[in-house]
Parts: sequence; structure tokens; C-alpha cells
Amino acid sequence: MIEILSVTGPASVQDLGRFDQYRFGVGTSGAMDDVALRAGNILLGNDENSAGIEIPMLPFKLRFGRDMAFALTGADVEAEIAGRVIPPWWRSHARTGDILTVKAMPRGARSYLTFGGGIDVPMVLGSRSTQFRSEFGGWHGRPLQAGDILPCTASTATIGELGVEPAEITLVRPNATPDETVVRVVIAGEYDGFAATTQALFWSSSWKITPQSNRYGYRLQGPAVKPEVPIEKRSHGIVPGVIQIPPNGQPIIQMRDAQTSGGYPKIATVIRADLWRVGQARLGGKLRFEQTAYTDALAAEAEMSAYLDRLRTNVRLVEETRTCRSS
Amino acid sequence: MTAPDRPRISLLGTSALLFEAPGAFDLPHQRRIWSLAATASKWPGIREAIPGITNLMLTFATPPRELDALIAALNDGWDAAEGLTIGGREIRLPVTYGGEIGSSLQSVADHCGLSVDDVVSIHAAPLYTVFALGSHPGYCYLGGMDRRITMPRRQTPLQRSAGGSVSIGGSQTGVSASPGPSGWHAIGHTSWTFFDPSWPTPAALAPGDTIRFEIERVIR
Amino acid sequence: MPIELTDIARLAQILEKSGVDTIEIEEPGQSLKLVVDTGPRMAASPTLAAPAADHSVIAKADVAGHFLAAHPWRDKPFVAQGQRIEAGAVVGLVKIGLLYAPIVAPAAGTVDAVIAEPGATVGYGTPIVRIRPLAGSSPIN
Repeated sequence: MIEILSVTGPASVQDLGRFDQYRFGVGTSGAMDDVALRAGNILLGNDENSAGIEIPMLPFKLRFGRDMAFALTGADVEAEIAGRVIPPWWRSHARTGDILTVKAMPRGARSYLTFGGGIDVPMVLGSRSTQFRSEFGGWHGRPLQAGDILPCTASTATIGELGVEPAEITLVRPNATPDETVVRVVIAGEYDGFAATTQALFWSSSWKITPQSNRYGYRLQGPAVKPEVPIEKRSHGIVPGVIQIPPNGQPIIQMRDAQTSGGYPKIATVIRADLWRVGQARLGGKLRFEQTAYTDALAAEAEMSAYLDRLRTNVRLVEETRTCRSS
Repeated sequence: MTAPDRPRISLLGTSALLFEAPGAFDLPHQRRIWSLAATASKWPGIREAIPGITNLMLTFATPPRELDALIAALNDGWDAAEGLTIGGREIRLPVTYGGEIGSSLQSVADHCGLSVDDVVSIHAAPLYTVFALGSHPGYCYLGGMDRRITMPRRQTPLQRSAGGSVSIGGSQTGVSASPGPSGWHAIGHTSWTFFDPSWPTPAALAPGDTIRFEIERVIR
Repeated sequence: MPIELTDIARLAQILEKSGVDTIEIEEPGQSLKLVVDTGPRMAASPTLAAPAADHSVIAKADVAGHFLAAHPWRDKPFVAQGQRIEAGAVVGLVKIGLLYAPIVAPAAGTVDAVIAEPGATVGYGTPIVRIRPLAGSSPIN
């Protein structure tokens, strides 16, 4: 088990989410950076859907109640345990009583802490992710607080220090800059309702991520992008990544805890393979949208899957090599 | 609210496809959507077929390489769809109109050029049908609202609106099951439970059920 | 009480001034032996230690790949010359495909030099970092 000692902001238990409950109005929830969560679980030999802790703000401190392996992936953070520094995207081991301190997040927006065996909370509607709106799933349907003691499933996986290449390096985009996250999108149903000059403005702007951005949605600030005539749609289903334009012309990217339907016009949708990039974009940071065809979006998903496949194979090989050496 | 004059199909990234039916926002059209949903939910690669208000979202288990076949199947499916009559339950829902939660009651009255009492009696008069679930767990989109109390959604969505609030958004009405952000205008509230993840079916209501609002109280 | 580097320096000064050649201190958990190198005058005494032998230990790669002196996300390398490190500390990485395998210090001590070239191909056993161990510290397995 693990004991939360100190937490800032809404840290929560998340797995990859629940994807087959839309007909009840239940959205996906789940890790905003699903790639980082998967990578942490891969490092630990866990099921990739094992639940971990999503940490959006620091400092964060916890104490290990027993010996266990853990991994830290996602944003670049300054972290240490038992007097040793933990490098980024790293698997390490904790002894009973060790305290893990995650102090600062120089880059990125969310850190993922995974544990050998995963956090042992009940599945609700097929997932261990926290549903904040209706207060179920994860740890009692709420953000973590100091004093919470979370059970972890026991695991017999090998514990040895190991790092992997961060997704941001392997999946680097050719147009990446340190100041702006470029995100690929597929145009959506109401795109043609915007004048050509307005469409151009949508593509060319460097959108600022306002402080009102969170797991529900990223509210962006920039030039007003309004359709030629006001559009109000009948309520229809939406998924994480849908970019809505409310009447004030300031785009909102619907994220993991968004409503499952809406009526504002949609200009585009962030591709599934780039949702993690939005999840790692900081408040006050900038986003730019890149128009992408459906087939190219599928190719991007294949590239993301290939990275995870390689991680899986590589990590497994290390265990086998180590087993051979020691036998 | 706008609907196309012929079926429109559009992508929601690589995660889902949206089918929008032409025609009025009425029960016969919605019944055909229910029928199309029942058919489409069985197609390979489709995770869920989720009805909206005269529209349908198909979420992908695996995104199809080629969309043409799916688009054709949706169009054919719509043409062939006969209204699905769902024998639902009738629920009586006591509502306190106005007050702190129903804080937009006066603005709706002002916008529509009606008195608060008129808005309340117009809102409570019909037998509403649950057209679809969506927005948040257990939330029901209702069909049958009188157009006289239409009020467009907010310019900027409110960050927080209370659970159990009875709201108007455009020409639709609905009841929220939990607090959260909303672009709709709350005119009252109910204390009924719409959702519980421990129930065998977590949502209390389903498409095809009907609701009668009972005026418990009006706080002016 | 742990023997500090400053203690050792003082003891060494005392040794030299006093004309005593050797001092050995043993305590539970630590031992210290200081031998004064008095050059030719020592030659006749075989029981005394030879001229200060190289007591360095080497942190070696234990897999084949490319040596990374720093994590790609960091400007600062893992270790720098003169840095005090613990036994088991990560002194560099070997990159193999997507894996970053740690190169660990076999003993506590001071980093003498990073002897492998950043980016170089390394193999099992390639020396990476030379460490001057804390006197009395023994390499970990």
C-alpha cells in the first residue's frame, strides 16, 4: 500500500478509461496522457490498463507501505526517493517506509506514477478511472488527499532500475518548438460554416491555454473564430478531442472528463494519437492546430502503437537477459 | 436548431462518426434514430451507437481503414429505418421551479416575453419523451418542449451548475444528474436520482421513457 | 562516528609531521589505513605499502549500446569530475533501442573522470567512469 503525504491540485487515480458507457452519458475519464500511463505499466510488467496516479501539480509526496517497484513517466519532473534522484521515464524500487518526493515540473503538465501490480481499487463500469462529475471510480470518486492510503496489488515482476526513451523524443514532430505544441486535427462537421478567412485564422493562430483549462476541457484564447452565421446544433455525441466554438468564438478542446454530448458548432477534432500532447501542454502554453486527413490520422495512431510495441519488446528482452545472466 | 436537409455524416477525429438526420425535432424522427442505433450497434468495429437529438454517434472499437462502406450502410440504414416504438415507463418528477438553482427562470421569462408563471405552466404541461441520454451520467435529453420557451445556449458556458437542475438549452429541455459545467439555463430543480453506477443498468431512464413534470413549488 | 575526509586529511598531516609511517583505525562498519609515501626511504620496508597504488574503481557498462553521459532531457550530465557519489548511484546510461540502462557506481567515492566518450558504442564491461573510492569502502555486488 501507499500513503499520500502531501498533494497539490487534483491528483487522481486513472487507468486508460471507460469507453463503452457513452449511452448512459458516461464519458471516458482516464489518463490525459495515455501513452505515459501505458509506458509506466510496460516498464513494470503490468497490464497496460493498470491504474496509476495522475499528478497535475506539485509538490507531491507519498510513503511506500511495503517494498514495491514503481515507475514515473509523463512530464519531466524533479523526483527523489531515499536520497537518490529518479531520472525521467524511469522504473525504480522502493523499500517499506521510503518517501517519494516529486518536487517540480520543469516541462510538461502531468506526471504518472505507476506501481508494480497497479492500484487495487474496484472497477466501476469497467474501469478504475475517477469520474469526478458523478463521484465514482478511482479513489472514492474524488481527488487524492493527504492521509489517503491506497491498496496496491502484489506483483512478482522483476525490480531493477531501468529507463525508456520518452514518447516526446521518439514521436517528435518535425515542426515542434519548445514554446508551442502542434496538434493534428481532422476537420469536423461545421468547419464549412466558417468563412475562409476565419478558417485561416484557426490554422495560423498560436492559441493560448487559459488557466480555466483542465480535464473537462482546454479553454483557448486568441482571435475570435466565429461561424458566418450563428450555429446552434441539436445535442449530439462528442468525444475527447472535439474542438467546439461557443458563441464568443474562443475554442474549447473537450478532454477526458468532458460532457459526452453538446450543441456548439465543432470546427475540428484532435486526433487520438495527439491527445497526449494536449494533455502535456501547460496552462499558459501555446497550441497550434495542423490540418490532417483521416488516413494520416490513422498512420499517426499506428506510429504511436509501434512505439508502445517496441517498448514492450525491449523491456521484455531486458528481463530475459537479466534472468539468463543470473541463472 | 439547425438540422441538415439531407443526412449529414461527419468525422469526430478517428474515434467516432456522427450521423445527422434531416427533418423535424420530433418523436417520429427520433424513433427512426433508435431503430438505426439498434441496427448499427451490431456492425463490426462499432463499439457503441449512441442516439442524440435526431442524430447518432458511432464510436469505433477499431477505426475503419475505409469509411465509404460505413457511410453507405448508414445512409441505407436510415432509408430503411422504421420508427422503433420503445415501450417505456412514465415517470412523475416533482420540480421546484425558480429559487437558487433555477436562477435563470426570470431571464427565460424575459427573453420569451412571458411571465414566470407562464414559463412554468408551459414547461410542465407536456408529457416529455426521453429522446437520448448524454452530456453527463444519467442526463436525459427530452423531446416535446413547447417552442415558446426556447432560449439559446449561453455565450460562455457556466463553469458550474447544480445537480438535479431542470434546464432549457435552445428548444430542448433536460434534467442534470450531477453538478457541472453547463451552457443551458436552469429554471428549477428536482431531487430524484438519475444515475447510480452500482445499479445493473446505471442510468435510471432510457430512450423511450416519458416524464411528467409536477409543479411542486414556484419560487419567484 | 563516520570518518570524514577532513579527518583523514588531518591524520595524514599528523602522520607526515610525526614521522610515523602508517596508521590503521578499525571500528565497527569502517576501517582506515593511511600510509605515508616517503619515496626512496620506504624502499627497504616490504611490509609497508608500495607507492600509492591506484585504488580507483571503474563503473562499467553491463549491456551493449551507446553511452549517454546525461539524460536527453537534461543539460547536466549524471556526474562531473570531483563529484561525491554513493554506491549504486547512476553515473550514465547505455541506450539500447528505446531502453536506457543505468550504469551504476560500484562503490561510494569521488568521480575521477568520465572516461567513455558520450555517444560512443560500448559493450559489456566497457569502462565508463573512474571513481576514487572512499577509503575503506568496498565495491558492491
